[in-house]
Amino acid sequence: MNRSQLDHILKVHHRDAYLWSRQCCSFDDDLAKDVLQQSYLKILEGQAKLKDTSKAKTWLFSIIRYTAIDELRKAGKVVSISETYDPIDIPEEIDATDYEAIINRLPEMQREVILMVFYHQMTIAQSAEILQIGIGTARTHYDRGKKKLKELITKVQIQEDYGK
Amino acid sequence: MENDEQLERFFDQMKKQDEQLDIPAFPEVKTRKFNLWIPAGIAASLALLGLIMQEPQPLPEGPNEVLIITLQEGDNNEQEFIIEEKAYLDVWESPTASLLTDY
Repeated sequence: MNRSQLDHILKVHHRDAYLWSRQCCSFDDDLAKDVLQQSYLKILEGQAKLKDTSKAKTWLFSIIRYTAIDELRKAGKVVSISETYDPIDIPEEIDATDYEAIINRLPEMQREVILMVFYHQMTIAQSAEILQIGIGTARTHYDRGKKKLKELITKVQIQEDYGK
Repeated sequence: MENDEQLERFFDQMKKQDEQLDIPAFPEVKTRKFNLWIPAGIAASLALLGLIMQEPQPLPEGPNEVLIITLQEGDNNEQEFIIEEKAYLDVWESPTASLLTDY
């Protein structure tokens, strides 16, 4: 695949790629731009190769995710959150329209699967491919993430309704 | 997808909010790969420029006159110097030529 073909693929998915980069960087705009730039560089320098053009979006999302993990690790921003972490316990008040803050309360893997499926309209199988985990594990993250996010949304709405 | 309306509504609203985001322009990514054509092109251009800029130097002109000093035996068997001025050398003898004949 030559440079202009790669350029075309990246341009087609640029908006989604930036939004995914933001989501992987805890919605930090500057970091998301850096991560995206580095991801593109990796691709155009041939460090990451696309074998199947039908999986371009999955492949691009996977590169962005791993680049973001590296950058967050370098910046010391990686916080290990166990799967038993209870997001329902909200220490501070969150605005019901602060969707980013709400989704950020989910454990990392659950958040990523939920965003890929509900926001980016991907399948659980595609999510599993991006996260490089088995489909069964991805489904578990999906089910748990869905349950926790529903509880979170309800909790935030109750807080807002009765807090006023 | 049962009972997912709440989540779908949540993400629809999130997407609407994201429509207000400034999406950065697609960056002009310059790869860091070393391109051999660039230094080769510069070297070739410099060489060509050097050839064009180099002016041919005029050849040094020969002396108008040649001063010939010879040592000859005079009438009184005395050695004397003869100094001649000529435009060119018609005879040239190696200073060591006598060695070939004398020894």
